[in-house]
Amino acid sequence: MTARNRELFALIPATLLVTAGFAAVFIQRDNLLSDVSLTYGAIFLALCLAAHLVLRMTLPDADPYLFPLVAVLASFGLVMLYRLDEQLAREQAQWFVVGLLFFTAAIVALRRDHRVLERYRYVIALGGILLLLLPRLGSPVNGAYLSFDLGPISFQPAELAKLAIVIFLASYLRDTRHVLVIGARRFAGITFPPLKHLGPLLAVWGTAMALLFVIQDLGSSLMFFGGFLALVYVATNRISFVLIGLGLFALGARALYAIRPTIESRVDAWLHPFDPELYEREIGGSYQIAQSIFSQADGGFFGQGFGQAIVQLGDNPPILPAAHTDFIYAVITDELGLMGAVAVLLVYLLIVERGFKTAMLATDSFSKLLATGLTAVLALQVFVIVGGVTKLIPLTGVTLPFISYGGSSIVANFVLLALLLLVSDRARREAAA
Amino acid sequence: MLEPVSVGLKFAFLAVLYLFLLWISRSAFNDLRRGAFGGPRAPVAADATGMHPASSLDVLDGDGSFSPRLVVESVPGLSRGMAYDVAEGATLGRGDVEIQLEDPFASSRHARLTRQGAILVIEDLGSTNGTYLNDELLRGPRPLHAGDRVRIGDSTFTFDG
Repeated sequence: MTARNRELFALIPATLLVTAGFAAVFIQRDNLLSDVSLTYGAIFLALCLAAHLVLRMTLPDADPYLFPLVAVLASFGLVMLYRLDEQLAREQAQWFVVGLLFFTAAIVALRRDHRVLERYRYVIALGGILLLLLPRLGSPVNGAYLSFDLGPISFQPAELAKLAIVIFLASYLRDTRHVLVIGARRFAGITFPPLKHLGPLLAVWGTAMALLFVIQDLGSSLMFFGGFLALVYVATNRISFVLIGLGLFALGARALYAIRPTIESRVDAWLHPFDPELYEREIGGSYQIAQSIFSQADGGFFGQGFGQAIVQLGDNPPILPAAHTDFIYAVITDELGLMGAVAVLLVYLLIVERGFKTAMLATDSFSKLLATGLTAVLALQVFVIVGGVTKLIPLTGVTLPFISYGGSSIVANFVLLALLLLVSDRARREAAA
Repeated sequence: MLEPVSVGLKFAFLAVLYLFLLWISRSAFNDLRRGAFGGPRAPVAADATGMHPASSLDVLDGDGSFSPRLVVESVPGLSRGMAYDVAEGATLGRGDVEIQLEDPFASSRHARLTRQGAILVIEDLGSTNGTYLNDELLRGPRPLHAGDRVRIGDSTFTFDG
């Protein structure tokens, strides 16, 4: 079976999931078995087929499983959003169309050689940093500066900035990785990079810290800095650089924790979610995280079933706040149980596996680093939000890629997927030749 | 009334999902079992992270009479002992040439090996940091002999005639 036929075949399960999911939601809500769910399934299939045809024409050798895995995540997202609010699902479907348009545009523009991105690295880096600073013009949401209102659309620049920063770092490290290794000194059993080249590393660390300080969001800065460390490790093969980086990040985060009240309240809510005083607190309390844990526990092994999770009762404050964005993972766990939640994580795990495999196959350093960086950032984003929702780390508001409601997230992640497929197409063609 | 259908759909959903995941992970495991990340044709990884320019790398020795090779002594990103077949000559440098060096001290077209009958001649192509033959700065074309050391920036090769 050729790569593209494999991909076509793998799209069938995603379509079945959409149909079954919508049917179950219909039954639960209106107690009727309607053929409308088939219509939704058909529309979803048509969208996937359109993207599949684009890939068939432009990137015939690209990895066959990446797109179907993403389609499965998208079907999860659509079903869950439809179950929460019909209007949100409709908007999300429109965002998928926009995302697929960007996906196609990125592939067509870079189809000849994605390495032209290297030429614009400083422009891309500058754009990324400006994007990150943009939300400072607005007002904070829950104490963090993450979104920016662009007319009627609320826009999360961190999503696009992560692409810009990975592209820049991949291209920068391609040039400097040897300099970091040569002249490195061993001291007390740890390899330190040469002092004069420590500058750029410290600059990235400083940027991550500044980011933490400016947008006051631990999750995004952890995501960016973690992506950077993954790239440094792959570029230099020195685990010591990663350990030094993590140590610096921990120190910086500890220092900021002492100064910024927002971060402090997040950490308190994480450590003591069931403390009555924190639970009752109006702003910056632990209500969200405690409720998220309750609804996940409610899910059990196989879940309550589609449409059965209690998210809102009457006009009271929601039982599970922000269910369509930050806490969509908790809704999935509630309705499909441990089995469903593990399946979602497995889908991400397989995407990450395909991403790293693409990086292993790529022959030139820039492509290798680009694929590694994109995959690492995606994995860290999932870790940050799922870790937050399950109370493994302090909760911060990043989206669950391809599932959460949100236009900028969908668009940015589809561009990320396009870049991975571009690298994969070239690498697999060269490997087969 | 339709409760059983709803429950059935939930389990059908999970079943389809897990079958799909099983199918995809089977292919992932096959990749891992094959050992090499790229099948039998993939070049040998130079280090744990597998980063090295794989263009025109050839670990095998030729069997013919004229099979001169440049053996990697210490080159950033390449492991010691790998060899380039230079029977037809080659250009070394950081740019788009036969032997690509990821070395910050190399020029884009740094030095050239040309075949003249049964010998290879090396010459510097006006590089910024120069080419060293047996630790002597190369001035003008010089013939290569077995055991000669060629150094460009931080990259060192041994010539194997």
